[in-house]
Amino acid sequence: MTGPAGEPTNQPVPPAEEAEAVEAADGARAASALRRAWALVVVPLGAVILAMLVGSIVILASQVFIGVEIDPTLPLVAYWAMISGGLGSFNGIVETMVQATPLVLAGLAVGVGFKAGLFNIGAQGQFLMGALAAAYVGGQLRDQPALVAVSLAVAAGAFGGLVYGFIPGALKALTGAHEVVTTIMLNFVAISISSYFVSGPLRAPRSPFAQTLDVGNAELIVLFGRNGHVGIFFALLAVPIIWWLLWRAKLGFEIRTVGANPDAARFAGMRPRRLIALTMALCGMLAGLAGSGEILGRVGHLTAPYATNVGFDAITVALLGRANPVGILFSALLLGMMKAGAGQMQIQAGIPVEIVDVIQGLILLFLAAEIIVRRLFRIREARVGLEELATVTRSYGERSA
Amino acid sequence: MRTRSIGLSLFATAAIVVAACTGGGTPAPATPAPVTPAPVTPAPATPEPKVWKIGVVTDVGTLDDKNFNQFSWEGAQKGAAAIGGEATAIVTVASADYDKNVQSFVDQKFDIIVTIGFALADATAKAAKLNPTVQFIGVDQAPCLTGAGDPDPTFTDCSGDMATLLPNFQGLVFAEQEPGYLAGIAAASITTKKVIGAIGGAAFIPPVVRYIKGYINGAHSVDPTIQVKVAYVSDDLGKAFNDPAGGKAFATQFIQQNGVDVLFQVAGKTGNGVLAAACDANIYGVGVDVDQHESTPETAKCTVTSAEKKLSIAVEQAIMRVGDGSAKGGIIGNDAKNDGIGLSKYYEFESMFSSDAQAKIQAAFDGFKAGTTDPCAPANCTDPFE
Repeated sequence: MTGPAGEPTNQPVPPAEEAEAVEAADGARAASALRRAWALVVVPLGAVILAMLVGSIVILASQVFIGVEIDPTLPLVAYWAMISGGLGSFNGIVETMVQATPLVLAGLAVGVGFKAGLFNIGAQGQFLMGALAAAYVGGQLRDQPALVAVSLAVAAGAFGGLVYGFIPGALKALTGAHEVVTTIMLNFVAISISSYFVSGPLRAPRSPFAQTLDVGNAELIVLFGRNGHVGIFFALLAVPIIWWLLWRAKLGFEIRTVGANPDAARFAGMRPRRLIALTMALCGMLAGLAGSGEILGRVGHLTAPYATNVGFDAITVALLGRANPVGILFSALLLGMMKAGAGQMQIQAGIPVEIVDVIQGLILLFLAAEIIVRRLFRIREARVGLEELATVTRSYGERSA
Repeated sequence: MRTRSIGLSLFATAAIVVAACTGGGTPAPATPAPVTPAPVTPAPATPEPKVWKIGVVTDVGTLDDKNFNQFSWEGAQKGAAAIGGEATAIVTVASADYDKNVQSFVDQKFDIIVTIGFALADATAKAAKLNPTVQFIGVDQAPCLTGAGDPDPTFTDCSGDMATLLPNFQGLVFAEQEPGYLAGIAAASITTKKVIGAIGGAAFIPPVVRYIKGYINGAHSVDPTIQVKVAYVSDDLGKAFNDPAGGKAFATQFIQQNGVDVLFQVAGKTGNGVLAAACDANIYGVGVDVDQHESTPETAKCTVTSAEKKLSIAVEQAIMRVGDGSAKGGIIGNDAKNDGIGLSKYYEFESMFSSDAQAKIQAAFDGFKAGTTDPCAPANCTDPFE
C-alpha cells in the first residue's frame, strides 16, 4: 500500500476511470433493468399478498358460520399447511411441479393470445380436445413401442388442440366473430364432444364406466419422485421456446404488432387475419399439449365427465404472469403449489378446498383493480401498463377489429 | 384525490391490523392442528388409547352434496366416534387428483382411508397395494384386479381375488335389487291406475338392471296384475346418467305414452329430470341411491320415497370392523342383513301408505334378512329385457 502505491499513480488513472465508468454504466443498466423488472412484478406480487390477506379474513369469518370456536391463528395454520404441503418435502415439490405443468402450457395458450390482442377463454375446450385426441391415439397404440406411442399420442394431443383453437381463430379472421364469445361457446361444445366419444365410440369395451382405453405404453415415464413425469420438462421447455418465438422470431414480432395495433400491422404489410387464425391455432396447440400431458402423464385414460379447471385457471396464470412466458412459469408454480398443498391444508386446518378458489379469485380481482394495489403499496404508475388487461377490457368493451 | 387516498389507507390499515391480529399468535405448528386431544401432560403410567386417524377422499363435488359424499362422510364421522378417532376430509376438485388426495392421507400416516364413489376404485386399489398397513374402505367400489393385484382400468384381466390380494381394502357394494323390491311394493301400494313405471339410465349397467328387476318383482308381490312399464334412456352414458334435461324430455313422453302414475328413476342425474317430469305430470316419483326427498329438494313435492343405499351405515360399520380387528378385505356386500339398504322416509306422504302397505314393506325387508324373500324372483336380476 505504501511503497508501490505512489509509483503508478500517474499511469493507471485513465484505465481505472474507464473501468469505473463502464462499471457505473453497467451498474446503471443493471439498476434500470432491475427497476423495470420490479415495475413488472410489483403489481402481481401485491395482488397475491392482498389476496392472501383478504383470504385470511375469509378463513376467519368462515369459523363464525361453521360455529366452531374462533381460532385467530387459523389462517396462518392453513397457509403454513398449504405451503409445507406444496414445498415442504421432495414429494410435495414434485407434486407442485406436476400440478404446475398443465398450468404453464395452458397459461401460455392464454398469454400468447394476449400478445396478439386476443382473449382466449377457450383453453378449457382446447385442453379437453387435446386430452381426447391423446387418449384416443394413446389407447390405440397402447401396445406399440413406448417411443412411437408417446410421440404420436403427444402429437395427436397437440393437433387436437390446434384444430380446436384454429376454429375460433378462423371464425374471427373470416367473419369477425369475437373470440371471447366463440371460445366460451366452444368450451361447452368440447365437453359434449368428449362426453360423446368417451361414453360412445371410444369407450373401453369391458369397462362398466364411461372411460377410454388405458394408454398403456403411451404413458409418460416418471423420471423422479412419485409422479414427476417427463411432461414437466416439455412445459419447462415451452417457456424459452415461446419467449424466443415472441421476442426473437419474425412471427412473434408480427403477433405482437397485430396485438398492439392491427391497422398499423396491415399498413406494414402484415396480414392480421391470417395471423389471428395462426395465433389461435398456436394457443390451441399449447392447451392441447397440456391436455395430453394430463392424460398421458397422470390419469392414463379420459373419463366422462372429466372434471378439470385447468383452462380457467390458465387465465389467472396468464394475467398474473402478465402474459410473459417467465412470469407465466412462476404464476403456474404458485398456483401449482396451492393445489399441491390444498390436501394438507384440508387435513391440518380443516379448511375447505374452496379457499384456494377464493384466493385465486381475489388475485384476479386485485389484478383487475390495479389501482388499489398501487395505492396500498404506494407504487407510482408504471410506464408499462397491464397490456393484457387492456386486452380483456377491450374484448368486452369494444367492437372487434 | 386526497380523500380517496385516505379511504384506501384506512383499508390498508384495516388489512394490516387484521394481519397483525391473525399473525400475533404462536407460529403455525408443523404438526397437524390440535383437533384431537393432545397428550399435554406426560402420563406414562396410563398409555393413551389409540386415536384412529380416519381420512375421507370425496369424489368431485362438495362435502355437503346431500348425496354420496355427504352420507359417506357422515358414516365416517359416526365410525370415528364409535372407535375413538377423528375423521378428516379432502374434497376432490379435479379428476386427475384422485391419487394425489389419497396419497396425502398416506403421507400424513392416517390409519383408515375412505374413498367415495366408483371413480376412485383404481386409485384406492393402487394405494392399498402400496400401503399394506393402511386400511382402505371404498364406497361403491368393486375394482377389477389383475392376478398381481393391480387395478386393470380396461377390465380385461379381472382374475385377481381382492380378498386375498388386498386384505386391507374393503370394497363396499350394495344389493340394489332389495331396495328396488321395496320401492316396487311402495309403488304398487299407491298406484290407482295399476300401471307403474321405471326409467333406467342404460340397460347394460348391472346395478341399474338389479334395481329395476327388484322393483318389478316387488310390485308383482303386491298384485301380479299391476303393469310395470320399463324403459332405458340411452346406451350413451352421458345421456343415460348425466343429462337432466334429456331425462325430463324422455320421461315426459314416457308418461304420456304409458299412462303410469308412479315412476321410479334409476338414472343418476338424468333421473333427476325424470323426477321433474313426474312432478310436472302430477304423478308420484320414487328416488334412487340416496334420500332424494332431501338431496333434490326441487322435486321433493312428488318424491314419495327413495330406494336407498344406506351409505352412512355401510361406512360406519366398515370402520367399526377395522376398529375391532375383524375387517377382511374384498367385496363387502351391504344388504338388508346389515341394514345397508332400505327405503327412505315418506315425509309428507306418510298417510298415503296404509298400515297394510307398510307392513308388507317391513315383511319383505325382514324376509331379505332371514333369506326367505328372494328379490330376484320370479324375474331374474340379470337380463334387462326378460
